[in-house]
Amino acid sequence: MAWEPRLVVIACHWCTYAGADLAGSLRYSYPPTVHIVRVPCSGRVEPEFIAEALRRGADGVFIGGCHFGDCHYKEGNYKAIRRFKLLKRALTDLGVDPDRVQLEWISGSEGKKFAEAMTAFDAKIRELGPNPMKGGANV
Amino acid sequence: MKKIEINPMTRLEGHGKITIFLDEQGNVENAFMQVVEFMGYEKFLIGMPIEEVPRTVSTICGV
Amino acid sequence: MSKPKLAYYLAGGCGGCDIAVVDISEMLVDVALAVDIVFWAPTVADAKYKDLEAMPDGSIDVGLISGNIRNSEHEHIAHVMRSKCKVLIAFGICATNGGIKGLVNLHTTEQLLDKAYVNTFSTDNPNKELPQTSCVVDGKYELTLPSLMYARPLDQVVKVDYYIGGCPPHYEHVKKAFTALLSGQLPPPGSWITMGKAVCEVCDRNPVLKGKPKKFATTVKRTIDGAPSEDGCLLEEGYLCLGPVTQGDCGSKCPAANIPCRGCGGPIPGVKDFSLRAISAIASMLDNEELVDQIPGPVHLFYRYTLPSSFPYKRLKS
Repeated sequence: MAWEPRLVVIACHWCTYAGADLAGSLRYSYPPTVHIVRVPCSGRVEPEFIAEALRRGADGVFIGGCHFGDCHYKEGNYKAIRRFKLLKRALTDLGVDPDRVQLEWISGSEGKKFAEAMTAFDAKIRELGPNPMKGGANV
Repeated sequence: MKKIEINPMTRLEGHGKITIFLDEQGNVENAFMQVVEFMGYEKFLIGMPIEEVPRTVSTICGV
Repeated sequence: MSKPKLAYYLAGGCGGCDIAVVDISEMLVDVALAVDIVFWAPTVADAKYKDLEAMPDGSIDVGLISGNIRNSEHEHIAHVMRSKCKVLIAFGICATNGGIKGLVNLHTTEQLLDKAYVNTFSTDNPNKELPQTSCVVDGKYELTLPSLMYARPLDQVVKVDYYIGGCPPHYEHVKKAFTALLSGQLPPPGSWITMGKAVCEVCDRNPVLKGKPKKFATTVKRTIDGAPSEDGCLLEEGYLCLGPVTQGDCGSKCPAANIPCRGCGGPIPGVKDFSLRAISAIASMLDNEELVDQIPGPVHLFYRYTLPSSFPYKRLKS
């Protein structure tokens, strides 16, 4: 069987998850390789969540949050971008492909943007190929 | 030829091994001391901010 | 009743943890009288590996291993120690999380050997000779060396009963650990022997302990950029200190000397992946995202002591 990517999307409840909902209501299609995990806020996303997904075999991890100023908890997304940028710097230095982990602000009204972002993410991961970190192999 | 291995060398920090070769009469024919440990500080320090190096290289030997 | 038997093995470490045991000073006399040291290689006792291998399984009450698992000899002796010891303790940050020597995982063995033996300014090695796992000298003397591998913390090789962090563990903490060990008052197996507080919780500079709020860092500074204030929080002033996520069994000695914490104590309880949690903690303490780009050498900072135990455990491609 040909390799199919497995993508984990960690979506904030207030914006990106609603955006995904809207994409469905509006009948926009996006790849079935996407698995959505709902979290209260993108500020809840610890770097450990991303690492755990990659270690367990996800080929890509996508984090979706509210646009700046829109966060339901005021500053969760500001915290998310700082953590994400620092994590990405460290992972890039350690040889992880930076495109495997992405962050995007998608609001509840941007159903189309969600579907497009998922399609682009799926295409990017197909280009990169399977995740070499699966299982967290250390030796 | 008889071979005697002393592994590890004790009462020091750093892993060492001594191998002694005896001839037919039981006299020492040759002896070798090997350092078993290899670390690699020369390489992995590259890229570390200079002010952090002293406290890092103090772990080359802690004794 | 016979004395409990103690074994100690220094794997891929520096001997600093052995010195931390000696640093318990007068208490060392009590400890030495209370236990029977059957093996302490290579630093203290004269027992060899074959003596350890000859001991019956489960005959040693407590085994301590310091240093990470870096070559086939470390791996072999770690397995031997596990089968001989009833309780096995990973002693010091190298054994628990990989330690500074775990930074070897940033490079392949070939790159490390090339730098150390060939490609250094002060090295004269025209034939590019490198250490071999076996060689024959003068056609008749056969010699062997263990094979090198990526560094691993002890618990990736054998089951570990207790963990003690620190580079090296502070002697006051070693005293507490030995007291707990000798009196049998140990936490459940698999846990860290720690008082469970972060460096920040025991730090005199922590504004929260003085009833003041903790502020965001508005700059990123290196310790060469001037000196911190007398009693202010290093992190607030921009000196990236890993105190929030590090065990404070050391009593916060580095921040007291104007030096930011680098995380040698190991992760505070509840944290599995120290480096990632440190990234999270430091990033959330910064005032804005531009500051993230100013952090010099994030890998050498956040993975300093924990690369072999933190995702992705080694550099994937160089």
